[in-house]
Amino acid sequence: MRAFVQLMALAALAALSPAQAQAPTGKVTVLTSFSKDVTDPFKKAFEAAHPGTTVEIQNRNTNAGVKLLEETRSVNQVDIFWASAPDAFEVLKGKKLLQLYKPKAAGIPAKIGAYPINDPDGYYSGFAASGYGIMWNERYAKANKLPDPKEWQDLAKPVYFDHVSIAAPSRSGTTHLTIETILQGEGWDKGWRTIKEWSGNLRNVTERSFGVPDAVNSGQVGYGIVIDFFAFSAQGAGFPVKFVYPTVTTIVPANVGIVANPPNKATAEAFVEYLLSPAGQEVLLDKGIRRLPVRPETYAKAPADYPNPFKDPSLGGKVTFDSGLSSARTAVVDTLYDQLVTFQLDGLKAATKAIHAAEAALAKKDNAAGRAALKEARDLVAKMPVTAEQAASPEIRAAFTGGKEKSARQAELEQQWAASAKAAYAAAEAKANEAAKLAR
Amino acid sequence: MSDRQGVAVEVQNVDLSYGTNHILKDVSLSVRPGEFFAFLGPSGCGKTTLLRLIAGFNQADRGEVRLGGMDISHLPPWRRDVGMVFQSYALWPHMTVARNVAFGLEERKMPRAEIASKVKSALALVGLEALADRYPSQLSGGQQQRVALARTIAVEPKVLLLDEPLSNLDAKMRVQVRRELRDLQQRLGLTTIFVTHDQEEANSICDRIAVLNDGAVQQVGTPMELYQRPANLFVASFLGTANILPGRIAGDGAGRIFAISDGAELPLPPGQLPPKQSKLVFRPQHAALNPAGSPGLAGTIAHREFLGAVVRYGVSIAGTEILVESPFGSAEDLRDIGSPVSVAVDVERVHFLDA
Amino acid sequence: MATAIEAPRAPAQRFAATPGQMLLAALIALFLALFLVIPVITVIYVAFTEKGTGAFTLINFYDFARTDLFIASFWNSMYVAAMTVVLASLFALPLAYLTTRFEFRGAGIVQMLGFIPLIMPPFAGAVAMQLLFGRNGTINLLLDDWFGFKIPFMEGLNGVVFAQAVHYFPFILINLSAALRNIDRSMEEAAQNLGSHGFRLFRRVVFPLAMPGYIAGASLVFVKVFDDLATPLLLNVKDMLAPQAYLRITSIGLADPMGYVIAVVLIVVSVAAMGASAWVMKGRDYATVQRGGGGLSKRPMNRSQAIGAYAVVLLILFLVLAPHIGLFLLSIATVWSFSPLPDGYTFAHYARVFAESSVFIKNTLLYATLAGIIDVVLGTAIAYLVLRTKLPGRHWLDWTASAALAIPGVVLGIGYLRTFFDVKMPDGTSFASFWIVIVLALAIRRLPYALRACYAALQQVSASLEEAAENLGATKSRTVRRIVLPLMMGGILAGFVTSFATAAVELSATLMLVQSTSDAPLAYGLYVFMQSPAGRGPGAALGIIAVLLVAVCTLISNWIIERNQHLRSTRT
Repeated sequence: MRAFVQLMALAALAALSPAQAQAPTGKVTVLTSFSKDVTDPFKKAFEAAHPGTTVEIQNRNTNAGVKLLEETRSVNQVDIFWASAPDAFEVLKGKKLLQLYKPKAAGIPAKIGAYPINDPDGYYSGFAASGYGIMWNERYAKANKLPDPKEWQDLAKPVYFDHVSIAAPSRSGTTHLTIETILQGEGWDKGWRTIKEWSGNLRNVTERSFGVPDAVNSGQVGYGIVIDFFAFSAQGAGFPVKFVYPTVTTIVPANVGIVANPPNKATAEAFVEYLLSPAGQEVLLDKGIRRLPVRPETYAKAPADYPNPFKDPSLGGKVTFDSGLSSARTAVVDTLYDQLVTFQLDGLKAATKAIHAAEAALAKKDNAAGRAALKEARDLVAKMPVTAEQAASPEIRAAFTGGKEKSARQAELEQQWAASAKAAYAAAEAKANEAAKLAR
Repeated sequence: MSDRQGVAVEVQNVDLSYGTNHILKDVSLSVRPGEFFAFLGPSGCGKTTLLRLIAGFNQADRGEVRLGGMDISHLPPWRRDVGMVFQSYALWPHMTVARNVAFGLEERKMPRAEIASKVKSALALVGLEALADRYPSQLSGGQQQRVALARTIAVEPKVLLLDEPLSNLDAKMRVQVRRELRDLQQRLGLTTIFVTHDQEEANSICDRIAVLNDGAVQQVGTPMELYQRPANLFVASFLGTANILPGRIAGDGAGRIFAISDGAELPLPPGQLPPKQSKLVFRPQHAALNPAGSPGLAGTIAHREFLGAVVRYGVSIAGTEILVESPFGSAEDLRDIGSPVSVAVDVERVHFLDA
Repeated sequence: MATAIEAPRAPAQRFAATPGQMLLAALIALFLALFLVIPVITVIYVAFTEKGTGAFTLINFYDFARTDLFIASFWNSMYVAAMTVVLASLFALPLAYLTTRFEFRGAGIVQMLGFIPLIMPPFAGAVAMQLLFGRNGTINLLLDDWFGFKIPFMEGLNGVVFAQAVHYFPFILINLSAALRNIDRSMEEAAQNLGSHGFRLFRRVVFPLAMPGYIAGASLVFVKVFDDLATPLLLNVKDMLAPQAYLRITSIGLADPMGYVIAVVLIVVSVAAMGASAWVMKGRDYATVQRGGGGLSKRPMNRSQAIGAYAVVLLILFLVLAPHIGLFLLSIATVWSFSPLPDGYTFAHYARVFAESSVFIKNTLLYATLAGIIDVVLGTAIAYLVLRTKLPGRHWLDWTASAALAIPGVVLGIGYLRTFFDVKMPDGTSFASFWIVIVLALAIRRLPYALRACYAALQQVSASLEEAAENLGATKSRTVRRIVLPLMMGGILAGFVTSFATAAVELSATLMLVQSTSDAPLAYGLYVFMQSPAGRGPGAALGIIAVLLVAVCTLISNWIIERNQHLRSTRT
């Protein structure tokens, strides 16, 4: 019955707009980073709403999807690119791999939190919102007697040492946004300090976005920095996990865009329209999906405790996300994180552990010289090899793209950064040990 | 190593089965100290199984094996001090000749210098000192055989077991090596058991032979005893060539005869008192061919084989074929196929054996 | 006149092969060039170009040598590969030795179960091992509860060693068992007769004789582990070479040369390892040296020995089958989180898989079967050309095909995309999106296994059997069909099984090449399932189905091989 109503609504819509004269039919190929739990309900609903169509899902992680579209642009066979990270869409737009399309669906606000829902240029549209936060396993927390975290900074506390997991930002569009959000929210230097402080408590850095919720779900790791729907869908699947949005977070839309030269344009457009339609938005409430709809009225049908960014001003209101700045320094930020954290995790953890120990010692028996040494150790950990200006400079960006202005090759920069981090962490560990000794 | 005293090997009431397959049936025999003894029999008779039982590779269901009077039935192979040369030689391809020979000495934890000198003298004994650093794959069959022998005697075992040691050699080598084996055994005075299916081999070098068939010992004796006085039909037919004729005994006293069939009868010497159901056995050389009509069994020449010193004729007598050997004189003496003859059997040398 | 007649007629001798054989060689060379050499070269040549300009340079290798991370990764990979060989040997040696040299009830089952770990769908194995051996896995939760300590089975490089040894030890088991079975029993008996027994006997005689088989298996394990990226990544170990190559190529981009530099290093090390093992084993193939049909000796065990042996075997089997046990539990678990065992059990996951994913199963059977067939056809043909003709350059076919072993799946996948994307099919779509490409990639990846099996099978067929057929008037091709192939059948089937079984669970090349879900094989479906919380159960169920599927096919082939061999031995 619902499908029938949707069909009538769409038929009416089609009758109203001459541009939609071509009826959607045949196969629409969707390249997506979303899991089966997300894609299957949409596939079913869309095919029911548009008899005669089939949705063909190609599953890739976001980066691999972008690479695939790049590699195959001459013989493109994909109609739709459907993923979370707005950055990826910015990259595709920059490479002219997206088709301009302004959805006809009405009733969707311009912004969610502080973030514009749709691409102002009209190359892609937000269909659901997601925020980043901290997810944890209740059984794990209980067994290890750990408190519930509220803010990013909480994760830097000594109690969480070796209990936290994150996906490498170079591997996960969503984590990249988390890092970028913190950097934009707190500024380059303070942001990196925060990031490194809780990164020192990391258990591991995974190479798949889903690696983090997976480890939290099974209890291998206690706390994960994840996008909200990972936690919500895990709750939906019955796992004993909890989730919190820290204050400095941003609610960003997950997007859909039509790929340039789509093999089946009519059906591709119908798919985008369906995602944004009231019926399509309701699918987001499915307990295996659990994403935040971009239509405010859909929340009326949601369970009671469902977060509502249109009602709750604390959700993502603090940071205005500058996606231009973000995409300008994507490669630099990701590489910095990899070289300073991912591949130096042992050194960073050793320094962090020493700092925690010194802190505990000083708490018992205060000592000014010790405090100074401890501060020095913290500063050493926080030290960055490049400034915000350098990170966005054409010289450094060229090293990553192979452009002409480059001052050094990417591999050289990486080695420099890694070497400086390694030395800094070793020095920090020594300083912290010194501080601990002074407190004795 | 030459002044060792040989020890006796005794096998007593040994039974061995694999599942329902009864391989050895109540086998008993004893090998005297220093004796060169053969287990002879057709393939599948159990001779190799018996040898492996002495070496400890098979376990008897019943009975015991004694070495110099001591029961070794329950000792593992490596504690038995019984040297064995394998049919395949079993030289380890990853070790040189010298390493192969040194192996057993090393297992006995001898000092290095002693091992070196023993390896040297063992190789000298078989005349292979020059090949000490070769690998087995670089040796001829005869050389490999000698390495295998050197490897075994180097550890100075109480008993030497040889499992068809000559079967992988060509005919000429075989004769040469078996003489060498005999010489070596005599010099060392080592009790030696030799498994073979070749009666000539056994006859030519062994002091005594145990003939086995179907898992049981048929007869034990010197080569001559076995040949002249076979204990049963199997031994008679297995050793050399024998005519074995069914028939019946008729008549009495001096008139007693053995009737092969109607019209073909042999007079029996008065001393012989064979049982009723027995077969007549005699060697081909214990019969002679006479011109047709002479006393004896009348028949015709069915086939002829020229064997060099003798000529073997198959004579058809009343539907039965009898082999007769006569010395070869000249081509004129040969009898043609189809010609009638009379066969005279030397009745003093016939046996009657139970059917 | 007379001398003219007596002059030797040379022409018949001049050609080293018949025209048919030359054509066959040319076709194989073309196939290997198209689907192995060219795609790989299109990928790795990037290693020799300057980023941005594309000019030829060796500076990237200089950068590789100067980057601490890469050098550390190199040594870490070496360490992991070498230690995996050691641990895998510890698993394989007792199993192989006890089941081949003793009267061991259930030896056949042990050998079969020992093969199962090879059939482990990607992702699933590491996920399941984490659940059992992870920091908060079953074993450690219980240990912590009872004794208050944990064992870091799965941590860091040693965790990778453990997981890899469990996965790859069958390569050693299979090769070592075959080698042990080939040792004539008189070899051991001679040693016992000279006073050796127990471990000394094993160390001084049995193991050296089995060395060729052991080295063959060990070098295979070394190369596979050195090149593997999935297991380290799933255990969050990134400072190894293969993961570094993968991470760079897939996250920094296809234009970044360092990923390809690493790929070149991987290939060079793998080829060197295979070459070294071949060199070490040169002239040590003892199987043909051992004469005398002593056959296999199986010693009986006394009671205490038997108890010890079964305890060892069961412990090893538990360890190596743990991923499968864990996966099975996961496939019937409702929720399994921070607890020794799942909260509850259900069969709903299987229902979901059967309802949604039968296309994966169908595709897997189709692809793996086709890949297996391609492999044994190529393998037999190459083995024949190498062993039975004097064709110049025939060894290059063998070497090239074997080199596929050293090509990481990702490199091959990217190479296919690059090479074939611009090749258009008649209907205008790209050849690279045609499912046959997945089959070809699987076939090329598994070709070395099948080739070795076919090669060994043909080596065991005496050339005199062929000469007899030719002497009786059979042509070369008819001889091959009527004599050679029937005699090789056991080995060919063995090659097919190895190709089929491993292709059925291959992911690395597939992941790059699958263009649509309807063409996807099971491993891909499993990967997709495993990306969501509610998909773990169904993913595990799909994994179990994959294992069962492959195991059943393997059993059937084994049965056919054994029947075949039985027939042959009773006929002679």
